Amino acid sequence: MSIGTEAATGHRFALVDVNNFYVSCERVFDPRLADRPVVVLSNNDGCVVARSSEAKELGIKTGTPWFQLAPQAERMNLVARSSNYELYGDMSARVMEVIGRFGAWQEVYSIDESFLGLPAADEAALAGTARAVRAAVRRLVGVPVCVGVAPSKTLAKFANHIAKRNDHLAGVCSLGSMPPAELERLAARLPATELWGVGARTGDKLAGQGIQTIADLAAADPARIRKKFSVNLQRTVLELRGTACIPPIDERADAHQIMFSRSFSTPVDTAAAMADVMTVYAQSAASRLSARGLQAEVVTAFAGTSRFAAGEASNPSVSVPLPAPTDDPIAIVRTAVAALEARLVPGARYARAGVVLSGLTRAGAARQGELDLFAAQHDDGGPADGRGAGPAANLGSLLGEVKTRFGKGAIGLGSGGVQAPAEWSMKRQYSSPKYTTEWKDLPVVSA
Amino acid sequence: MADSTDGAETSGVVRPRPATGFASPAGDYYDGGIDLNRHLIPDRTSTFVMRVSGHSMAGAGAADGDELIVERARTPRDGNVVVAVLDGELMVRRLRLEEAGPVLQTEPLPPNPPVRTRIDGELDVWGVATRSLHRL
Repeated sequence: MSIGTEAATGHRFALVDVNNFYVSCERVFDPRLADRPVVVLSNNDGCVVARSSEAKELGIKTGTPWFQLAPQAERMNLVARSSNYELYGDMSARVMEVIGRFGAWQEVYSIDESFLGLPAADEAALAGTARAVRAAVRRLVGVPVCVGVAPSKTLAKFANHIAKRNDHLAGVCSLGSMPPAELERLAARLPATELWGVGARTGDKLAGQGIQTIADLAAADPARIRKKFSVNLQRTVLELRGTACIPPIDERADAHQIMFSRSFSTPVDTAAAMADVMTVYAQSAASRLSARGLQAEVVTAFAGTSRFAAGEASNPSVSVPLPAPTDDPIAIVRTAVAALEARLVPGARYARAGVVLSGLTRAGAARQGELDLFAAQHDDGGPADGRGAGPAANLGSLLGEVKTRFGKGAIGLGSGGVQAPAEWSMKRQYSSPKYTTEWKDLPVVSA
Repeated sequence: MADSTDGAETSGVVRPRPATGFASPAGDYYDGGIDLNRHLIPDRTSTFVMRVSGHSMAGAGAADGDELIVERARTPRDGNVVVAVLDGELMVRRLRLEEAGPVLQTEPLPPNPPVRTRIDGELDVWGVATRSLHRL
Protein backbone atom coordinates (compact mmCIF):
# COMPACT_ATOMS: atom_id res chain seq x y z
CA MET A 1 0.00 0.00 0.00
CA SER A 2 1.65 3.21 -0.98
CA ILE A 3 1.48 6.80 0.07
CA GLY A 4 -1.57 8.75 -1.00
CA THR A 5 -2.83 6.15 -3.47
CA GLU A 6 -6.30 5.94 -1.99
CA ALA A 7 -6.82 9.67 -2.30
CA ALA A 8 -10.23 10.64 -3.53
CA THR A 9 -10.17 13.38 -6.12
CA GLY A 10 -11.64 15.98 -3.87
CA HIS A 11 -10.50 18.93 -1.86
CA ARG A 12 -6.95 19.12 -0.59
CA PHE A 13 -5.32 20.15 2.68
CA ALA A 14 -2.51 22.65 2.86
CA LEU A 15 -0.33 22.98 5.93
CA VAL A 16 1.27 26.40 6.03
CA ASP A 17 3.83 27.24 8.70
CA VAL A 18 6.29 30.03 9.29
CA ASN A 19 9.97 29.12 9.18
CA ASN A 20 11.64 29.75 12.54
CA PHE A 21 8.67 31.93 13.44
CA TYR A 22 10.03 33.90 16.40
CA VAL A 23 13.33 34.65 14.69
CA SER A 24 11.55 35.58 11.46
CA CYS A 25 9.36 38.09 13.34
CA GLU A 26 12.45 39.72 14.84
CA ARG A 27 14.08 39.96 11.42
CA VAL A 28 11.18 41.84 9.85
CA PHE A 29 11.97 44.90 11.93
CA ASP A 30 15.71 44.52 12.32
CA PRO A 31 17.40 43.89 8.97
CA ARG A 32 20.78 43.54 10.69
CA LEU A 33 19.63 40.12 11.88
CA ALA A 34 19.42 38.82 8.31
CA ASP A 35 21.88 36.00 7.53
CA ARG A 36 23.20 36.02 11.10
CA PRO A 37 22.77 33.27 13.68
CA VAL A 38 19.91 34.40 15.92
CA VAL A 39 18.30 32.68 18.91
CA VAL A 40 15.20 33.60 20.87
CA LEU A 41 15.24 32.86 24.60
CA SER A 42 12.52 31.54 26.90
CA ASN A 43 10.89 33.34 29.82
CA ASN A 44 13.43 35.09 32.00
CA ASP A 45 16.04 34.65 29.25
CA GLY A 46 16.60 31.08 30.42
CA CYS A 47 17.30 29.02 27.34
CA VAL A 48 17.00 28.79 23.60
CA VAL A 49 13.45 28.26 22.28
CA ALA A 50 13.88 29.28 18.64
CA ARG A 51 16.83 29.33 16.26
CA SER A 52 17.57 30.77 12.86
CA SER A 53 18.89 28.29 10.31
CA GLU A 54 22.37 29.80 10.82
CA ALA A 55 22.14 29.09 14.55
CA LYS A 56 21.06 25.52 13.79
CA GLU A 57 24.10 25.16 11.53
CA LEU A 58 26.33 26.23 14.42
CA GLY A 59 25.00 23.20 16.28
CA ILE A 60 23.03 25.20 18.85
CA LYS A 61 20.22 23.05 20.22
CA THR A 62 16.79 24.06 21.44
CA GLY A 63 16.89 24.10 25.22
CA THR A 64 20.51 25.16 25.56
CA PRO A 65 20.79 27.47 28.59
CA TRP A 66 21.76 30.98 27.54
CA PHE A 67 24.49 31.28 30.19
CA GLN A 68 26.36 28.51 28.37
CA LEU A 69 26.19 30.33 25.05
CA ALA A 70 26.70 33.91 26.22
CA PRO A 71 30.50 33.74 26.61
CA GLN A 72 30.90 32.50 23.01
CA ALA A 73 28.18 34.66 21.47
CA GLU A 74 30.49 37.36 20.18
CA ARG A 75 32.90 34.89 18.62
CA MET A 76 30.01 33.11 16.91
CA ASN A 77 28.45 36.41 15.78
CA LEU A 78 25.37 35.14 17.61
CA VAL A 79 22.50 37.46 18.53
CA ALA A 80 20.00 36.64 21.29
CA ARG A 81 16.53 38.08 21.70
CA SER A 82 14.18 37.70 24.66
CA SER A 83 10.73 36.34 23.81
CA ASN A 84 8.57 39.21 22.62
CA TYR A 85 5.10 37.67 22.99
CA GLU A 86 3.31 40.84 22.00
CA LEU A 87 5.15 41.00 18.69
CA TYR A 88 4.75 37.30 17.90
CA GLY A 89 1.06 37.35 18.75
CA ASP A 90 0.38 40.31 16.48
CA MET A 91 2.45 38.92 13.63
CA SER A 92 0.71 35.56 14.02
CA ALA A 93 -2.71 37.20 13.64
CA ARG A 94 -1.54 38.91 10.44
CA VAL A 95 -0.06 35.73 9.00
CA MET A 96 -3.19 33.68 9.80
CA GLU A 97 -5.48 36.22 8.20
CA VAL A 98 -3.44 36.27 4.98
CA ILE A 99 -3.34 32.46 4.83
CA GLY A 100 -7.09 32.26 5.41
CA ARG A 101 -7.80 34.36 2.32
CA PHE A 102 -6.63 31.52 0.09
CA GLY A 103 -8.78 28.67 1.34
CA ALA A 104 -12.33 27.43 1.55
CA TRP A 105 -11.81 26.95 5.28
CA GLN A 106 -8.99 27.44 7.74
CA GLU A 107 -7.97 25.72 10.94
CA VAL A 108 -5.35 27.62 12.91
CA TYR A 109 -3.32 24.91 14.55
CA SER A 110 -0.79 26.87 16.57
CA ILE A 111 0.77 30.32 16.75
CA ASP A 112 2.76 29.67 13.58
CA GLU A 113 0.90 27.03 11.58
CA SER A 114 -2.46 26.63 9.96
CA PHE A 115 -4.31 24.07 7.93
CA LEU A 116 -6.10 25.42 4.89
CA GLY A 117 -8.80 23.76 2.82
CA LEU A 118 -8.25 23.97 -0.93
CA PRO A 119 -11.13 23.12 -3.27
CA ALA A 120 -10.55 20.33 -5.78
CA ALA A 121 -8.28 21.46 -8.58
CA ASP A 122 -5.63 20.05 -10.89
CA GLU A 123 -2.05 19.72 -9.69
CA ALA A 124 -0.81 22.83 -11.46
CA ALA A 125 -3.52 24.95 -9.87
CA LEU A 126 -2.87 23.51 -6.38
CA ALA A 127 0.85 24.19 -6.65
CA GLY A 128 0.05 27.67 -7.95
CA THR A 129 -2.14 28.41 -4.92
CA ALA A 130 0.57 27.12 -2.60
CA ARG A 131 3.14 29.42 -4.21
CA ALA A 132 0.68 32.32 -4.02
CA VAL A 133 0.17 31.78 -0.26
CA ARG A 134 3.91 31.77 0.28
CA ALA A 135 4.45 34.91 -1.80
CA ALA A 136 1.56 36.78 -0.14
CA VAL A 137 2.70 36.12 3.43
CA ARG A 138 6.24 37.13 2.50
CA ARG A 139 5.14 40.31 0.81
CA LEU A 140 2.36 41.42 3.15
CA VAL A 141 3.74 40.41 6.54
CA GLY A 142 7.40 39.86 5.72
CA VAL A 143 8.01 36.34 7.05
CA PRO A 144 8.90 33.16 5.11
CA VAL A 145 6.49 30.22 5.14
CA CYS A 146 6.56 26.67 3.80
CA VAL A 147 3.49 25.08 2.28
CA GLY A 148 2.67 21.37 1.95
CA VAL A 149 -0.38 20.26 -0.05
CA ALA A 150 -1.86 16.76 0.08
CA PRO A 151 -5.11 14.76 0.33
CA SER A 152 -4.97 14.53 4.15
CA LYS A 153 -3.64 16.52 7.07
CA THR A 154 -0.99 13.95 7.92
CA LEU A 155 0.25 13.97 4.33
CA ALA A 156 0.08 17.79 4.17
CA LYS A 157 2.38 17.87 7.20
CA PHE A 158 4.64 15.38 5.47
CA ALA A 159 4.66 17.46 2.27
CA ASN A 160 5.49 20.55 4.32
CA HIS A 161 8.38 18.66 5.86
CA ILE A 162 9.67 17.78 2.39
CA ALA A 163 9.32 21.41 1.28
CA LYS A 164 11.37 22.51 4.25
CA ARG A 165 14.22 20.05 3.72
CA ASN A 166 14.66 20.58 -0.01
CA ASP A 167 15.88 24.00 -1.05
CA HIS A 168 15.13 23.42 -4.72
CA LEU A 169 11.40 23.23 -3.93
CA ALA A 170 11.44 26.89 -2.83
CA GLY A 171 9.29 26.24 0.22
CA VAL A 172 6.39 24.58 -1.57
CA CYS A 173 5.57 20.89 -2.01
CA SER A 174 2.38 19.50 -3.43
CA LEU A 175 2.53 15.77 -2.91
CA GLY A 176 0.68 15.05 -6.15
CA SER A 177 3.42 16.78 -8.14
CA MET A 178 6.13 14.51 -6.82
CA PRO A 179 7.27 11.58 -8.93
CA PRO A 180 5.73 8.50 -7.22
CA ALA A 181 9.07 6.67 -7.19
CA GLU A 182 10.73 9.52 -5.32
CA LEU A 183 7.91 9.61 -2.79
CA GLU A 184 8.24 5.85 -2.23
CA ARG A 185 11.96 6.22 -1.69
CA LEU A 186 11.46 8.97 0.88
CA ALA A 187 8.77 7.05 2.75
CA ALA A 188 10.97 3.97 2.86
CA ARG A 189 13.86 5.98 4.27
CA LEU A 190 12.23 8.27 6.84
CA PRO A 191 11.31 6.89 10.27
CA ALA A 192 7.63 6.81 11.22
CA THR A 193 8.40 9.20 14.08
CA GLU A 194 8.85 11.99 11.52
CA LEU A 195 5.09 11.91 11.08
CA TRP A 196 2.62 14.23 12.74
CA GLY A 197 1.25 12.58 15.88
CA VAL A 198 3.79 9.74 16.08
CA GLY A 199 5.94 10.37 19.13
CA ALA A 200 9.10 8.65 20.27
CA ARG A 201 7.26 6.23 22.57
CA THR A 202 4.84 5.13 19.87
CA GLY A 203 7.85 4.88 17.56
CA ASP A 204 9.57 2.43 19.93
CA LYS A 205 6.42 0.36 20.23
CA LEU A 206 5.99 0.35 16.44
CA ALA A 207 9.59 -0.76 16.01
CA GLY A 208 8.78 -3.69 18.27
CA GLN A 209 6.16 -4.69 15.70
CA GLY A 210 8.66 -4.37 12.86
CA ILE A 211 7.28 -1.02 11.73
CA GLN A 212 10.19 1.37 11.29
CA THR A 213 9.54 3.70 8.40
CA ILE A 214 6.70 5.77 7.06
CA ALA A 215 6.30 3.23 4.26
CA ASP A 216 6.02 0.42 6.83
CA LEU A 217 3.27 2.27 8.67
CA ALA A 218 1.36 3.05 5.47
CA ALA A 219 1.42 -0.68 4.66
CA ALA A 220 0.26 -1.78 8.11
CA ASP A 221 -3.20 -3.24 8.67
CA PRO A 222 -5.37 -0.40 10.01
CA ALA A 223 -7.56 -2.72 12.08
CA ARG A 224 -4.52 -4.28 13.73
CA ILE A 225 -3.03 -0.84 14.43
CA ARG A 226 -6.26 0.18 16.10
CA LYS A 227 -6.25 -2.90 18.27
CA LYS A 228 -2.58 -2.74 19.24
CA PHE A 229 -2.28 1.05 19.48
CA SER A 230 -5.14 3.50 19.20
CA VAL A 231 -7.80 4.88 16.96
CA ASN A 232 -5.58 7.91 16.47
CA LEU A 233 -2.75 5.87 15.01
CA GLN A 234 -5.23 4.00 12.84
CA ARG A 235 -6.26 7.39 11.48
CA THR A 236 -2.62 8.15 10.74
CA VAL A 237 -2.41 4.96 8.65
CA LEU A 238 -5.56 5.84 6.72
CA GLU A 239 -4.39 9.42 6.24
CA LEU A 240 -1.06 8.18 4.89
CA ARG A 241 -2.98 6.28 2.25
CA GLY A 242 -4.83 9.43 1.33
CA THR A 243 -8.09 9.16 3.26
CA ALA A 244 -8.63 12.32 5.28
CA CYS A 245 -10.04 11.36 8.68
CA ILE A 246 -8.54 13.63 11.33
CA PRO A 247 -11.33 16.00 12.35
CA PRO A 248 -10.78 19.73 12.80
CA ILE A 249 -9.76 20.99 16.22
CA ASP A 250 -13.21 22.33 16.98
CA GLU A 251 -14.96 19.04 16.25
CA ARG A 252 -12.69 16.71 18.14
CA ALA A 253 -13.87 14.58 21.00
CA ASP A 254 -13.83 15.78 24.59
CA ALA A 255 -10.30 14.68 25.32
CA HIS A 256 -8.91 17.23 22.89
CA GLN A 257 -11.03 20.25 23.59
CA ILE A 258 -13.22 21.96 26.09
CA MET A 259 -16.35 23.60 24.83
CA PHE A 260 -18.87 25.82 26.50
CA SER A 261 -21.78 26.87 24.33
CA ARG A 262 -25.44 27.71 24.79
CA SER A 263 -28.45 28.88 22.86
CA PHE A 264 -30.02 32.12 24.07
CA SER A 265 -33.58 32.54 25.24
CA THR A 266 -33.60 36.03 23.72
CA PRO A 267 -31.41 36.83 20.73
CA VAL A 268 -28.25 38.87 21.32
CA ASP A 269 -27.93 41.73 18.86
CA THR A 270 -25.30 44.11 20.19
CA ALA A 271 -21.54 43.77 20.46
CA ALA A 272 -21.69 44.83 24.12
CA ALA A 273 -24.13 42.07 25.01
CA MET A 274 -22.08 39.56 23.02
CA ALA A 275 -18.96 40.65 24.92
CA ASP A 276 -20.79 39.88 28.18
CA VAL A 277 -21.83 36.48 26.89
CA MET A 278 -18.29 35.68 25.75
CA THR A 279 -16.92 36.77 29.14
CA VAL A 280 -19.18 34.34 30.97
CA TYR A 281 -18.71 31.44 28.55
CA ALA A 282 -14.94 31.86 28.33
CA GLN A 283 -14.69 31.88 32.12
CA SER A 284 -16.75 28.74 32.32
CA ALA A 285 -14.54 27.04 29.76
CA ALA A 286 -11.41 28.27 31.56
CA SER A 287 -12.56 26.85 34.89
CA ARG A 288 -13.21 23.48 33.26
CA LEU A 289 -9.73 23.72 31.82
CA SER A 290 -7.98 24.35 35.12
CA ALA A 291 -10.20 21.80 36.89
CA ARG A 292 -8.71 19.21 34.57
CA GLY A 293 -5.17 20.51 35.11
CA LEU A 294 -4.82 21.53 31.47
CA GLN A 295 -3.61 24.49 29.47
CA ALA A 296 -4.96 25.57 26.10
CA GLU A 297 -3.14 26.80 23.04
CA VAL A 298 -6.04 27.95 20.91
CA VAL A 299 -9.22 29.81 21.73
CA THR A 300 -12.11 29.51 19.30
CA ALA A 301 -15.06 31.85 19.72
CA PHE A 302 -18.19 31.39 17.66
CA ALA A 303 -21.72 32.67 17.37
CA GLY A 304 -24.61 31.98 15.07
CA THR A 305 -27.98 33.28 14.05
CA SER A 306 -30.94 30.93 14.03
CA ARG A 307 -31.55 29.09 10.81
CA PHE A 308 -35.27 29.70 11.24
CA ALA A 309 -35.24 33.38 12.05
CA ALA A 310 -35.71 36.14 9.52
CA GLY A 311 -32.92 38.63 8.94
CA GLU A 312 -29.29 38.41 8.02
CA ALA A 313 -27.55 35.08 8.63
CA SER A 314 -24.20 35.30 10.34
CA ASN A 315 -22.12 32.44 11.72
CA PRO A 316 -18.72 33.80 12.64
CA SER A 317 -16.13 31.45 14.07
CA VAL A 318 -12.67 32.67 14.90
CA SER A 319 -9.74 30.64 16.17
CA VAL A 320 -6.94 32.54 17.82
CA PRO A 321 -3.69 30.97 19.00
CA LEU A 322 -2.53 32.05 22.44
CA PRO A 323 1.09 33.24 22.59
CA ALA A 324 1.91 30.40 24.98
CA PRO A 325 -0.22 27.59 26.42
CA THR A 326 -2.17 28.91 29.37
CA ASP A 327 -5.05 28.31 31.76
CA ASP A 328 -5.20 31.97 32.73
CA PRO A 329 -8.89 32.92 32.60
CA ILE A 330 -8.01 36.56 31.99
CA ALA A 331 -6.04 35.81 28.85
CA ILE A 332 -8.71 33.41 27.65
CA VAL A 333 -11.61 35.79 28.26
CA ARG A 334 -9.85 38.67 26.55
CA THR A 335 -8.92 36.57 23.57
CA ALA A 336 -12.45 35.23 23.15
CA VAL A 337 -14.10 38.64 23.43
CA ALA A 338 -11.68 40.34 21.04
CA ALA A 339 -11.74 37.50 18.52
CA LEU A 340 -15.46 37.58 17.99
CA GLU A 341 -16.07 41.31 18.19
CA ALA A 342 -14.54 42.11 14.82
CA ARG A 343 -16.65 39.51 13.01
CA LEU A 344 -20.10 40.35 14.32
CA VAL A 345 -22.54 41.64 11.76
CA PRO A 346 -24.36 44.75 12.97
CA GLY A 347 -28.03 44.07 13.43
CA ALA A 348 -27.75 40.30 13.21
CA ARG A 349 -29.72 38.53 15.93
CA TYR A 350 -27.50 35.83 17.37
CA ALA A 351 -29.22 32.79 18.82
CA ARG A 352 -26.21 30.89 20.14
CA ALA A 353 -22.54 31.34 20.95
CA GLY A 354 -19.71 29.40 22.45
CA VAL A 355 -16.07 29.13 23.33
CA VAL A 356 -13.83 26.18 22.49
CA LEU A 357 -10.42 25.68 24.06
CA SER A 358 -8.13 23.37 22.13
CA GLY A 359 -4.51 22.36 21.75
CA LEU A 360 -4.73 21.06 25.30
CA THR A 361 -1.66 20.08 27.27
CA ARG A 362 -1.03 19.21 30.90
CA ALA A 363 -0.30 22.35 32.88
CA GLY A 364 3.42 22.40 33.52
CA ALA A 365 4.10 19.45 31.21
CA ALA A 366 6.42 19.74 28.27
CA ARG A 367 4.84 19.96 24.86
CA GLN A 368 6.35 19.17 21.51
CA GLY A 369 7.91 21.95 19.52
CA GLU A 370 9.13 25.45 20.06
CA LEU A 371 7.03 26.27 23.07
CA ASP A 372 8.23 23.40 25.24
CA LEU A 373 10.31 25.52 27.45
CA PHE A 374 7.72 28.11 28.25
CA ALA A 375 5.82 25.42 30.06
CA ALA A 376 8.63 23.39 31.52
CA GLN A 377 11.21 25.92 32.44
CA HIS A 378 12.18 26.58 36.02
CA ASP A 379 15.57 28.18 36.22
CA ASP A 380 16.48 31.67 37.35
CA GLY A 381 14.52 31.15 40.51
CA GLY A 382 11.33 32.07 38.71
CA PRO A 383 7.96 30.55 39.50
CA ALA A 384 8.20 26.82 39.14
CA ASP A 385 5.72 26.42 36.33
CA GLY A 386 6.97 29.40 34.37
CA ARG A 387 3.71 29.76 32.53
CA GLY A 388 2.40 32.90 34.05
CA ALA A 389 5.13 34.33 36.17
CA GLY A 390 3.43 36.95 38.24
CA PRO A 391 0.17 38.47 39.29
CA ALA A 392 -1.91 37.30 36.33
CA ALA A 393 -1.31 33.62 37.05
CA ASN A 394 -1.87 34.07 40.76
CA LEU A 395 -5.07 35.92 40.09
CA GLY A 396 -6.18 33.16 37.75
CA SER A 397 -5.72 30.44 40.33
CA LEU A 398 -7.27 32.62 43.03
CA LEU A 399 -10.35 33.07 40.87
CA GLY A 400 -10.50 29.32 40.45
CA GLU A 401 -10.15 28.74 44.18
CA VAL A 402 -12.84 31.22 45.13
CA LYS A 403 -15.16 29.64 42.58
CA THR A 404 -14.53 26.17 43.91
CA ARG A 405 -15.19 27.25 47.48
CA PHE A 406 -18.02 29.71 47.15
CA GLY A 407 -19.66 28.72 43.91
CA LYS A 408 -19.30 29.77 40.32
CA GLY A 409 -20.94 33.16 40.54
CA ALA A 410 -18.96 34.26 43.58
CA ILE A 411 -16.24 36.05 41.66
CA GLY A 412 -15.40 36.76 38.07
CA LEU A 413 -14.11 39.03 35.40
CA GLY A 414 -16.01 41.69 33.58
CA SER A 415 -17.49 45.14 34.08
CA GLY A 416 -17.02 46.16 37.69
CA GLY A 417 -14.89 43.07 38.22
CA VAL A 418 -11.20 42.62 38.11
CA GLN A 419 -8.83 45.19 36.64
CA ALA A 420 -6.40 44.46 33.83
CA PRO A 421 -3.62 42.09 34.84
CA ALA A 422 -0.32 43.58 35.84
CA GLU A 423 2.59 43.33 33.43
CA TRP A 424 4.49 40.10 33.67
CA SER A 425 7.44 40.68 35.91
CA MET A 426 9.75 38.79 33.63
CA LYS A 427 13.34 39.35 32.84
CA ARG A 428 13.54 40.31 29.20
CA GLN A 429 16.98 41.78 28.90
CA TYR A 430 17.36 41.30 25.17
CA SER A 431 13.82 42.11 24.17
CA SER A 432 13.10 43.91 20.96
CA PRO A 433 10.49 46.69 21.18
CA LYS A 434 6.78 45.80 20.92
CA TYR A 435 6.93 47.17 17.40
CA THR A 436 3.34 46.56 16.40
CA THR A 437 1.39 46.75 19.64
CA GLU A 438 2.81 49.73 21.58
CA TRP A 439 2.73 53.30 20.28
CA LYS A 440 5.95 54.21 22.08
CA ASP A 441 7.72 51.18 20.62
CA LEU A 442 7.09 51.81 16.90
CA PRO A 443 9.93 50.77 14.59
CA VAL A 444 12.20 53.70 13.84
CA VAL A 445 13.10 54.67 10.27
CA SER A 446 16.05 56.95 9.62
CA ALA A 447 15.56 60.08 7.59
CA MET B 1 -16.72 42.59 6.76
CA ALA B 2 -13.12 43.39 7.64
CA ASP B 3 -12.22 44.04 4.03
CA SER B 4 -13.05 47.70 3.97
CA THR B 5 -10.69 49.55 1.68
CA ASP B 6 -9.59 53.12 2.14
CA GLY B 7 -12.70 55.07 3.07
CA ALA B 8 -15.11 52.39 1.97
CA GLU B 9 -18.55 52.55 3.48
CA THR B 10 -18.87 49.17 5.09
CA SER B 11 -20.73 49.78 8.29
CA GLY B 12 -18.81 49.34 11.50
CA VAL B 13 -19.35 46.77 14.17
CA VAL B 14 -22.05 47.54 16.68
CA ARG B 15 -20.33 49.54 19.39
CA PRO B 16 -20.61 48.58 23.02
CA ARG B 17 -22.71 51.09 24.87
CA PRO B 18 -21.73 52.31 28.29
CA ALA B 19 -23.41 50.25 30.97
CA THR B 20 -25.78 52.80 32.46
CA GLY B 21 -29.18 52.35 34.01
CA PHE B 22 -31.09 53.90 31.11
CA ALA B 23 -30.53 53.36 27.43
CA SER B 24 -29.61 56.56 25.64
CA PRO B 25 -32.37 57.65 23.21
CA ALA B 26 -29.54 58.42 20.76
CA GLY B 27 -28.15 54.94 21.11
CA ASP B 28 -29.94 53.53 18.11
CA TYR B 29 -28.45 56.20 15.87
CA TYR B 30 -24.92 56.09 17.17
CA ASP B 31 -22.73 54.35 14.68
CA GLY B 32 -19.41 54.54 16.47
CA GLY B 33 -18.02 57.83 15.15
CA ILE B 34 -14.99 58.04 12.92
CA ASP B 35 -12.72 55.06 13.16
CA LEU B 36 -9.25 56.08 12.01
CA ASN B 37 -8.28 52.46 11.53
CA ARG B 38 -10.88 52.14 8.81
CA HIS B 39 -9.55 55.15 6.95
CA LEU B 40 -5.83 54.84 7.48
CA ILE B 41 -5.35 51.07 7.46
CA PRO B 42 -6.57 49.58 4.20
CA ASP B 43 -5.31 46.10 5.09
CA ARG B 44 -4.54 45.29 8.69
CA THR B 45 -2.27 42.39 7.74
CA SER B 46 0.16 44.51 5.74
CA THR B 47 -0.05 48.01 7.20
CA PHE B 48 2.50 49.09 9.79
CA VAL B 49 3.21 52.31 11.66
CA MET B 50 6.79 53.56 11.90
CA ARG B 51 8.41 56.57 13.51
CA VAL B 52 10.72 58.96 11.65
CA SER B 53 14.08 59.83 13.17
CA GLY B 54 16.04 62.59 11.44
CA HIS B 55 15.43 65.63 9.30
CA SER B 56 16.35 64.59 5.79
CA MET B 57 12.76 63.93 4.65
CA ALA B 58 11.07 66.96 6.18
CA GLY B 59 10.63 68.45 2.69
CA ALA B 60 8.48 65.46 1.77
CA GLY B 61 6.28 65.89 4.85
CA ALA B 62 7.98 63.31 7.03
CA ALA B 63 9.55 65.32 9.84
CA ASP B 64 11.57 64.11 12.79
CA GLY B 65 9.22 62.34 15.22
CA ASP B 66 6.33 61.93 12.75
CA GLU B 67 4.59 58.59 12.41
CA LEU B 68 4.31 57.05 8.98
CA ILE B 69 1.66 54.65 7.71
CA VAL B 70 3.65 52.08 5.75
CA GLU B 71 1.95 49.62 3.41
CA ARG B 72 3.74 46.47 2.38
CA ALA B 73 1.01 45.53 -0.09
CA ARG B 74 1.80 48.43 -2.44
CA THR B 75 4.16 48.02 -5.36
CA PRO B 76 6.78 50.74 -5.07
CA ARG B 77 6.60 53.21 -7.96
CA ASP B 78 8.65 56.12 -9.17
CA GLY B 79 8.10 59.10 -6.88
CA ASN B 80 6.82 57.11 -3.87
CA VAL B 81 8.17 57.78 -0.42
CA VAL B 82 9.42 54.36 0.64
CA VAL B 83 10.94 52.59 3.60
CA ALA B 84 13.98 50.75 2.25
CA VAL B 85 16.69 48.62 3.77
CA LEU B 86 20.07 50.31 3.35
CA ASP B 87 23.16 48.87 5.05
CA GLY B 88 21.05 46.90 7.50
CA GLU B 89 18.97 49.90 8.47
CA LEU B 90 15.40 50.95 7.73
CA MET B 91 15.51 54.30 5.90
CA VAL B 92 12.77 56.54 4.58
CA ARG B 93 13.57 58.01 1.16
CA ARG B 94 12.01 59.24 -2.09
CA LEU B 95 12.24 56.49 -4.70
CA ARG B 96 13.26 57.41 -8.24
CA LEU B 97 13.16 54.68 -10.86
CA GLU B 98 15.59 55.97 -13.45
CA GLU B 99 16.89 54.35 -16.58
CA ALA B 100 20.29 53.81 -15.03
CA GLY B 101 18.65 52.10 -12.03
CA PRO B 102 16.79 52.97 -8.86
CA VAL B 103 17.82 55.98 -6.79
CA LEU B 104 16.90 56.73 -3.19
CA GLN B 105 17.02 60.40 -2.38
CA THR B 106 16.58 62.56 0.66
CA GLU B 107 14.23 65.53 0.60
CA PRO B 108 15.29 68.00 3.29
CA LEU B 109 13.77 71.41 3.81
CA PRO B 110 15.37 74.11 1.64
CA PRO B 111 17.98 75.35 1.31
CA ASN B 112 19.54 71.93 2.00
CA PRO B 113 20.12 69.96 -1.20
CA PRO B 114 18.83 66.41 -1.61
CA VAL B 115 21.32 63.56 -1.39
CA ARG B 116 20.99 60.84 -4.00
CA THR B 117 22.03 57.23 -3.47
CA ARG B 118 22.09 55.05 -6.55
CA ILE B 119 21.35 51.39 -5.82
CA ASP B 120 23.67 49.08 -7.72
CA GLY B 121 22.61 45.77 -6.27
CA GLU B 122 19.09 44.70 -5.46
CA LEU B 123 16.81 47.38 -4.08
CA ASP B 124 15.14 46.15 -0.89
CA VAL B 125 11.94 48.13 -0.38
CA TRP B 126 10.27 47.30 2.95
CA GLY B 127 7.07 49.18 2.22
CA VAL B 128 5.53 52.30 0.74
CA ALA B 129 4.82 55.19 3.12
CA THR B 130 1.38 56.54 2.28
CA ARG B 131 0.70 59.04 5.04
CA SER B 132 2.56 61.00 7.64
CA LEU B 133 1.05 61.85 11.01
CA HIS B 134 2.62 65.21 11.59
CA ARG B 135 2.43 67.17 14.81
CA LEU B 136 1.35 70.80 14.36
